[in-house]
Amino acid sequence: MTEFYGAPNTGEFWHWTNALHFVLVGLAGGMALLAAILTLRQHPERSRYVWLAAVLIVLDLFVLWAESPARWRFSHIWLFLSFQPGAPIWWGAWGLAASLAATAVLLLKRWIVPLRRIPEMVPGLVLLVGSLVALAYPGFALAINTTRPLWNNMMLFIFPITALLMVLAIALLIGSTWAKRWEVLVAVLSLALLVAYPLTLQGAAREHFNHEGLMGYGIAGLLIALAALLFRNPRWGAALGLAGAVGLRWLLVMVGQFQSPGL
Amino acid sequence: MARLGMLIDLSACVGCAACAVACKMENQVPAGASRLWIREREVGTFPDLAVEFRPEQCNHCENPPCVPVCPTGASYQTEDGLVKVDSAKCIACGACVAACPYNARFINKNGYADKCTFCSHRLAKGQQPACVETCPTYARVFGDLDDPNSEIAKALKAAKRFDVLRPDQGTRPKVIYLNAPSKKGLTQEVSNS
Amino acid sequence: MKLPRRNFLKLSAAAVGAVSVGGAVTLTSRAKAAPAWYTKEVKQVFSICENCFWRCGIKASVVGNRVYKVDGYKENPKSRGMLCPRGQGAPAQTYDPDRLKKPLIRIEGSQRGDGRYREATWEEALDYIAKKMLDLKEQYGPESIAFFGHGTGDGWFVDFLPAAWGSPNAAKPSVSLCTAPREVAAQYTFGRAIGGHEPIDWPNTKYIVLIGHHIGEDTHNTQLQEFSEARKNGAKVVVVDPRFSTAAAKADRWLPIKPGTDTALLLAWIHVLISEKLYDQDYVEKYTVGMEQLVAHIRPYTPEWAEQQTEISAEVIRQVAREMARYRPKAVVPPTRHTVWYGNDTQRMRASYILNVLLGNYGREGGFYIAMPPYLEKYPTPPLPLEPAAGGCSGPAAADKEPEGYKPRADKGKFLAKSTAIQELIEPMISGQPYPIKGLFAYGINLFHAIPNVPRTKEALKKLELYVAIDVLPQEHVMWADVILPEATYLERYDDLVAVSHKTPFVQLRMPAHEPLFDCKPGWWIAKELGKRIGLEQFFPWQNIEEYLDTRLQSVGLDLETMKSMGTMVQNGKPWLTDWEKENRLPFGTLSGKIELYSEALAKAGFDPLPKYEAPQPVPEGFYRLLYGRSPVHTFARTQNNPVLMEMEPSNSVWLNAGEAARLGFKPGDYAYLINQDGVREGPVRVKITQRIRKDAVYITHGFGHKAKGMTLANGRGASDSYLQTRYTLDRISGGAGLRNNFVKLEKAPPPKLKSVTQLIKERRA
Repeated sequence: MTEFYGAPNTGEFWHWTNALHFVLVGLAGGMALLAAILTLRQHPERSRYVWLAAVLIVLDLFVLWAESPARWRFSHIWLFLSFQPGAPIWWGAWGLAASLAATAVLLLKRWIVPLRRIPEMVPGLVLLVGSLVALAYPGFALAINTTRPLWNNMMLFIFPITALLMVLAIALLIGSTWAKRWEVLVAVLSLALLVAYPLTLQGAAREHFNHEGLMGYGIAGLLIALAALLFRNPRWGAALGLAGAVGLRWLLVMVGQFQSPGL
Repeated sequence: MARLGMLIDLSACVGCAACAVACKMENQVPAGASRLWIREREVGTFPDLAVEFRPEQCNHCENPPCVPVCPTGASYQTEDGLVKVDSAKCIACGACVAACPYNARFINKNGYADKCTFCSHRLAKGQQPACVETCPTYARVFGDLDDPNSEIAKALKAAKRFDVLRPDQGTRPKVIYLNAPSKKGLTQEVSNS
Repeated sequence: MKLPRRNFLKLSAAAVGAVSVGGAVTLTSRAKAAPAWYTKEVKQVFSICENCFWRCGIKASVVGNRVYKVDGYKENPKSRGMLCPRGQGAPAQTYDPDRLKKPLIRIEGSQRGDGRYREATWEEALDYIAKKMLDLKEQYGPESIAFFGHGTGDGWFVDFLPAAWGSPNAAKPSVSLCTAPREVAAQYTFGRAIGGHEPIDWPNTKYIVLIGHHIGEDTHNTQLQEFSEARKNGAKVVVVDPRFSTAAAKADRWLPIKPGTDTALLLAWIHVLISEKLYDQDYVEKYTVGMEQLVAHIRPYTPEWAEQQTEISAEVIRQVAREMARYRPKAVVPPTRHTVWYGNDTQRMRASYILNVLLGNYGREGGFYIAMPPYLEKYPTPPLPLEPAAGGCSGPAAADKEPEGYKPRADKGKFLAKSTAIQELIEPMISGQPYPIKGLFAYGINLFHAIPNVPRTKEALKKLELYVAIDVLPQEHVMWADVILPEATYLERYDDLVAVSHKTPFVQLRMPAHEPLFDCKPGWWIAKELGKRIGLEQFFPWQNIEEYLDTRLQSVGLDLETMKSMGTMVQNGKPWLTDWEKENRLPFGTLSGKIELYSEALAKAGFDPLPKYEAPQPVPEGFYRLLYGRSPVHTFARTQNNPVLMEMEPSNSVWLNAGEAARLGFKPGDYAYLINQDGVREGPVRVKITQRIRKDAVYITHGFGHKAKGMTLANGRGASDSYLQTRYTLDRISGGAGLRNNFVKLEKAPPPKLKSVTQLIKERRA
């Protein structure tokens, strides 16, 4: 029987705004990767995706700034004035910034003459590297907290893969038929990860997960399974997969904030 | 340089929370947040009982997980072993809150991560932290773990056993507990959070 | 593909520049770690805490109109540089948005308890009160107004004003609802009071037996400090308590005694010390009378007999007695404080003192020291018509004869002791016997959370013609008054000097840290202004409080300015018998001049001269005995609106034995109603399912269950033990009201629909 005078800070530290960011950053990073690959392969649809990537990155960065309790102090500048290689969020800031810069170069080439001299390969490569960093960092931002047992190393795989699922689903929904087989592949991968993840949880972590997250997790899993199975109607599949991936990421961020409160 | 730490004697502590209230007042800790709290645990069955009163706060770890995850360098470690937050650099991203195994951190409503500072503003004037000064049971000792003549170093040397919270996390905390109730069947693991 | 060199250099220079700018900013911002108030112009003033009756000396750190922190200071023998949690959190009350801000007068035609008031000026409010008081004096006599109160300002309203006015019906709850049994027993045994700061020489004692005494949850500052010192010095601790208290968690032995049987245990210990000749024979011979009678009297009270009563084995009883003897005279059974338990409490305290005397510890190191009051003269006034009748924590004070033309106190004859018993002054308000009481002043005391039988108190209030409340918060009973006078809080006022009897007696000063907020006034001002209006001007000859204090301080060779820089003035005491014997005296104020084991005086008055055992009232089937005590972070019913302390502990809970909980079907997190033997219901209150209490009792901390709509944090939280104490057992010797013969049963309750304390605090600010 444990009681307290005062209380440890066990409330949620990341609210719905942060969960939203984890969704948006997956969209941004994933779309940036698609844009990079399409750019490097000089695919005809590349400029559309570069636009999408730019918009999503800006949206994500705006949400990050707007939800920060420090927004009016503009201390975010310190992200770029310091060197913090141990901080996933630092990597993420640079990855997103680099990706944004690359998309800016690619988009503004049309109007700014000096930019035309830079071959697309260059910003394309920067976008590739930046997007990979942006895709990887959210999983690291969770998994680095060894004290939170629900955010184990599975996060390193679940977050990038579900991010790709989201953007490939969007690609399908906006008519890029080349996305179909990739979307199904990623959906299947996501499903495999989803099945494996609860098996990696034990003890109090497993109890907390069952108690707080099982229902949501099951629904997300169902949606993603449908995404994998709906060959006949790929648009529906994409929509469900998108919903499932969004829900899954949201759920993991919110439910995973748990740590054992001690005896 | 010094290596500052805090010793708490659980056989003396009665869980009165004088330290927690003093900290709240001294540091104007906002409503809903805690830099310091008391955990009271009951073990055993009538009439073989034991109760542990345990104050908890930031442990100013030697290997703090909250420092490397800070993306702006706002969370830092001083040369004398304090873990602090430079509020001017903090973007309140919460990465440090997530990383702390002790629930010691919170986001202050003024827009930065916050926690126990070992009352560094009082240390600068040669005073003790507020929690140490007010404790009416003499349960707390604060000082330089590396100074063999300090009260804390001597007490640690004389102790038969001491515990820290969650040693499995590899943080090397510098808030050290003496005399966790070890009678009536409690074991060492029990006092590891 | 290469970056043009020019660009690269430009980029890296910018980077270097950024880093160095960053460095400069970093240095200055590291200095900003201090809390905001600490960096401003901080003034420090000496004062006295008011968050309990220990009254520790404090230093208040004030910036402008706000005290941010209070601390103890080393020179003060009470705080000695440390403060308890209540003391640390007390300033939050001064800035509580719910506090009373202006004098209020009850709207004409409304009922007491409706809570309908209009604001008034001080002049109007005081004139109203004065007119009513003079009317009542004319019609019924000055004794028809009762003066209840407690707090540092009670000197004005409960000691001085009623004595000047001519009413003997002045009462403090600290007497008959708290210390009366131990004070009266001490007077009849030692001829001395125990006093407010229990005179135990903790640092030197080696064996401590605590009977109910829940040190640690009771955070009386110096006592907690010295108890800790004693333990650090290797003292052994035995705790006798139906509940595994914090003190029990620190003890070498816990005796889970059956509630109400402590006297049996004490008598059995006396029996062992006498039958095994383990007591201090020299001490007894030198300093006591009545040993022969005690030896004869104690014969039947064997450990085997006591085992039947207390449910503690005879073996353990003997072991503890022998351990006590081994460590004597550095073995002590402290007198505790709140001793009004079962109605036979004076005799229980007599047994406790007899035990201590057999250990030879009274007036000796490791035992009881002899507390002396400091030398300090009163401010010269014309002689008061009456002696102050309220007693207070320093024992019975009033003479037993009323001066010509004045009525006796209205509770005279109900019990032996000479001080008033507050709960016995309620009946005359209803019945008019022995004479009517038509007016009431309530200064600081919480009428519904202190005096038992709340329905009777409410009935009495309805019958009054004048009811004045002087307080700081809109407590439930305050919002029944005809006139509400908002006193300035302790940080905003001077008070009379506090004189403390002690090993080293001392005098402490309270001075304001800043001017009173809102339209609040200090108690001394209210008393003087009222006095002027009711014909008592000559008793307030001083111009202002500074003059008053300065004059009093001059009697000890100081002045106010010097005292402001000192805070406390410490004098020499005479703590040990040897100090007295050097002067060829003994400190015992009894008729015999010695410690009276056998009390002739009690026998003459028709009471047992030696303590006998009386079994407690049995617990009715299906009920539990209601036991109560303190929380370390709360004080009585006064801190449940304090935001800092409420965040530490927002509510009380009812301790229920785990086996009983399983039987009744309670699970962790459940709530219950507590329903007493008269059908009074309190709660919902959270059930604390615990192994730490016997099956025949439940326990709640005192002071919750507020029904005060104006106290936004306190209202509706937890359960009130006071409301459940509809019955009390009158101790016919001391006048104490035994409160532990109330029984409750538990019923499942839905969780209360309350916002969290944190949420309310944030909403209040907005």
